[in-house]
Amino acid sequence: MKQRIPRICLAPAAVSRLLGLAKLAACLLMGMTLATAQEIPELVKPDPKNWLTYSGSYDSQRHSPLRQITPSNVHSLAAVFAYHMAGQRNLEVTPVVKDGVMYISQYNRIDAIDARSGNIIWQYQRQPLNDGAQRGTTVYANRIFVTTADRHLLALDRRNGSVLWETAVHDNLQLAGGAPLVAHGKVIVSGNQPNGFIQAYDAESGKYVWEWHPVPHSADEPNARTWAGESWKTGGSPIWLSGSYDPESRLVFYGTGQPNPVWSGATRAGDDLYSDCIVALDVDTGTLKWYFQTTPHDVHDWDSEEMPVLVDAVYQGRPRKLLLQANRNGYYYILDRTNGQFLHGTPFVSQLDWSSGLDANGRPILVPGHDPSVQGTKTCPSTAGATNWPSPTYDPATGYFYVVAQEGCGLNYLESSAPDAETGYLESPREHESWQLYVRALDALTGRKIWDYRQIASHHYGPGLLSTAGGVIFAAEELGQFSALDARTGKPLWHFNTGDMLTAGPISYSVDGRQFVAVASGTNIFAFALPRAPGAGRGR
Amino acid sequence: MTKVFPALVLAALATGALATAALAQRAPAPNPNPFAGNAQAVAEGMALYNRSCTACHGFNGTAGEFAPGLGQPGRRYNRRSDAQIFDAVKNGIPGSAMPAGAGRLSDEEAWKVVSYVLGLRGTAVDAPAPGDAAHGAEIFWGKGACGTCHMIRGRGSLIGPELSNIAGMRKTNSILDALTKSDHRVFGDGGAIPHTLLPLATYQRVRVTPAKGAPVEGLLRNEDSYSLQIMGMDQQLHLFDRAGLRAVEYLPGSLMPSDYDKRLTPQEFNDLLAFLTRQAAGRETATPSAVGDPD
Repeated sequence: MKQRIPRICLAPAAVSRLLGLAKLAACLLMGMTLATAQEIPELVKPDPKNWLTYSGSYDSQRHSPLRQITPSNVHSLAAVFAYHMAGQRNLEVTPVVKDGVMYISQYNRIDAIDARSGNIIWQYQRQPLNDGAQRGTTVYANRIFVTTADRHLLALDRRNGSVLWETAVHDNLQLAGGAPLVAHGKVIVSGNQPNGFIQAYDAESGKYVWEWHPVPHSADEPNARTWAGESWKTGGSPIWLSGSYDPESRLVFYGTGQPNPVWSGATRAGDDLYSDCIVALDVDTGTLKWYFQTTPHDVHDWDSEEMPVLVDAVYQGRPRKLLLQANRNGYYYILDRTNGQFLHGTPFVSQLDWSSGLDANGRPILVPGHDPSVQGTKTCPSTAGATNWPSPTYDPATGYFYVVAQEGCGLNYLESSAPDAETGYLESPREHESWQLYVRALDALTGRKIWDYRQIASHHYGPGLLSTAGGVIFAAEELGQFSALDARTGKPLWHFNTGDMLTAGPISYSVDGRQFVAVASGTNIFAFALPRAPGAGRGR
Repeated sequence: MTKVFPALVLAALATGALATAALAQRAPAPNPNPFAGNAQAVAEGMALYNRSCTACHGFNGTAGEFAPGLGQPGRRYNRRSDAQIFDAVKNGIPGSAMPAGAGRLSDEEAWKVVSYVLGLRGTAVDAPAPGDAAHGAEIFWGKGACGTCHMIRGRGSLIGPELSNIAGMRKTNSILDALTKSDHRVFGDGGAIPHTLLPLATYQRVRVTPAKGAPVEGLLRNEDSYSLQIMGMDQQLHLFDRAGLRAVEYLPGSLMPSDYDKRLTPQEFNDLLAFLTRQAAGRETATPSAVGDPD
């Protein structure tokens, strides 16, 4: 039985003032007493005008239902404002927007600005300024969350930045840059050090609730048997990106990272569970419901963090609850998200040489000769992967899954022949073989390529994607071109050079009926909208 | 000079020893680093670095997945002395993801990493190659015909990279590679992720055919999904919108010869290198007259 916050408590501040302090206090008190296990309706079914979470919605489709901007009018899209995040560096943040206010997070920091004008409303800055890659936050009723560089999690009042609670991270762990996800009253965060972990805190009180870790903490845990000896103790499997959530089954879905040592598997024979997995966890307890491992015994740093996209569709004749992922290892996966069953997998890049296919359970069939070596071993895709953390998008109207596809190979080196040797990789074996990025539309239910848009001069990672109900895909290009593509054909319709690197994903929101598209570039947030009607100039 | 000189320069600069020595000499206070200028320690520091630091920083000092490059021309460094870098290695940088390494690296190992990191930052002009730079200038403008593509302080051509500050931007071995290796590649920021807009580093040969008129051949200065900027072989800048073009061909190979060690005598080659490793902005060159006046 879901408990819901009384509607009156979720009213805007002005309404609360009208209701009087007594009622407000009662609501706050109720907020305390409803401290656990509540679903916020606006997060389950977001108002199209808002963008409340990293991926815009729990299903991580990154699809905006707004339809004002269309293929026929996008040519007149114009920049409305640029907001400068002083002191930061190549922002990777997805801003969130609620009721006309945009919140831009970094480690230790949130700036709240007018989402129409870019004018600052308040700023929270915990010392010191930090320019690490922090990728977003989330709104929960009147709260917004800050991850700090000194192992703390904070909740602020989203109206003025006041600190509502501050919690030292359980076990004194450092949080990674992924955006917190709030689901069923829990703030879910993750990190890397010393090994990967996911933790949940009560959104109301900040109280620690549960932790799940992909590598075992003791030899008694069942997955310890998938690591040679005690290699699990330093097993890695970082978790550094946000996840998805299914309110119906109350499962959160996260990707887990690569096992350690990264490029040498000699000391960790076995599948090294739960590294490089998609995992489903019970939101209330953190219990592992199911896992699907994309790259068993990985030696190429193919983190499985790429955003799991939840889609309900008729698949092979019957309605199914699917989970879609385009993985760094080059395969596109379709899973049944209720139980993790592998339904389909196919390469989504043309250059994939380490595996000849997937078996009936989705396990890759290996092609020998691709382990990293002292002299260097060529493998396609590269360590950076066939795609990486920049988000894909799913458009229910076209049924296409759009992904930033990275065609290219890499050389993987071992630093020595020592069994635990570390080292690195080179992006491409030869000059003139640099990676090439594409926006690639796949048929979501087969993985078949529908169209390609080559991002000329984009060779690294690439920013994320946004689809809109207007039929326009927004696709940022690495070196500054912010492009609009036709969702059906991939034809470029509009572009704007921000003049700085684009290393984040775009969002869409609306204020007073006007649709905006925004994206971080360099140290700025840019917002775009269609021009106002003539005469809509300055008032008094 | 001897015939083996290029090899010696390669060996020494590959380890960064000369650059480290040059930096160490400029330090105002006594250097606490027991390995300053020690080539063997720099080599060991490189191995330690690649083993201990590349989970975040990139291989060989390039930018990595989570942390910046440590030896990039143009980057301003907050920590410049041996002691400051040692402090970062041993104690980490509070408020950042840089961890304290004290538990894993001994003091001796940390100082070696420091020597390596500082060595990464030196460029050719910090330890110019010995030789007759004035004679090298004659080779540059004469027998080597370098000036048919390159420019130095206003003299020469617009087509290739401008070289007035080449010794302030590159290491000697990188300059050597450009003169002798066909697969030479200039890495910009390097590593997994470029942290700034890429420099115009490729000099890709390209032939563009407009809807009307003759094809234009030249070197790509920049391009994106919608436009091209080309320095033509006619030494004119050509700006194109892709939408109006009939064809864009990317031509294989580089205009840059890679056999200067063969087309020049060893003496000429060494002197050319001596000249090039002294071309740095804001510095008196050893032989100012060697530059010559613009034609």
